[in-house]
Amino acid sequence: MAEIRHRKNSLGITGWAWAGKYKLERYLYLLHRLTGLGLMLFAMMHLTATTVFRIQGQEIWTATMDLLHNLWFKVGEFLVVTAFVFHALNGLRLVLQELGFALGKPVPPIYPYQDAIRKKRPLTIAMIVLIILLVIVFFYDFNVGGW
Amino acid sequence: MVIKNTYLQLAQIITGALVGILLTIHMVVMHLDAILGFFGIVNDTSWSSMMIRARQGIWAGIYIALLAFGLFHALNGLRNILMELNLSPRAERILTWFMIAIGLIFLAVGTYVPLALLGK
Repeated sequence: MAEIRHRKNSLGITGWAWAGKYKLERYLYLLHRLTGLGLMLFAMMHLTATTVFRIQGQEIWTATMDLLHNLWFKVGEFLVVTAFVFHALNGLRLVLQELGFALGKPVPPIYPYQDAIRKKRPLTIAMIVLIILLVIVFFYDFNVGGW
Repeated sequence: MVIKNTYLQLAQIITGALVGILLTIHMVVMHLDAILGFFGIVNDTSWSSMMIRARQGIWAGIYIALLAFGLFHALNGLRNILMELNLSPRAERILTWFMIAIGLIFLAVGTYVPLALLGK
């Protein structure tokens, strides 16, 4: 059986951000990765706090929560919520597109052509609006001190 | 370990959807205090409030399921990114087993604590 020959990844990590005329969706893809990595990092720390510290009893738990209840951690938590809202809704958009929803019916390639990006764009815009609305709701809660 | 990437991608989509649902419940309950408080629902991070949730099987189930699906989704996502580095087949196998090992360690620790707190 012939061995699979890998193509050289010549752009490396910089290709994530720039490799020519990237469209909006490509930058959403980059943001999807960055928020995913950020959420994973946070999840590991969160898991440590809610397992290692929680199992040691009330005193350690209360001391941990007291340490975390300050403005910087609250701002950090808001950023985590924002990253989650973005990652979840952008992920939903990607799944819908992967399954063929919201792409319209196939049409013959007659001028003026409608490329895939233009067909996907309304869903992209709708998701961005929804993301902004949800982030505003969480920001409201953050701002009135409910954290 | 030979698992077709198509199945991993399908699992990535399914776990993504499940994490989205479970994490939304967690986020709303833990981070919309002011809005939920308006409706008389009180949830905070105090020991007493946390223990009330910890003693309920439904919450233990939600957290363990969230952890399991979240770990798969996160570690498989990270593996997908690292696989773009065009690793050799041997390096791919090492990476896959490393992700499985990390996932199992976090799953074991993260499952033990909710189960231990259930009986307290």
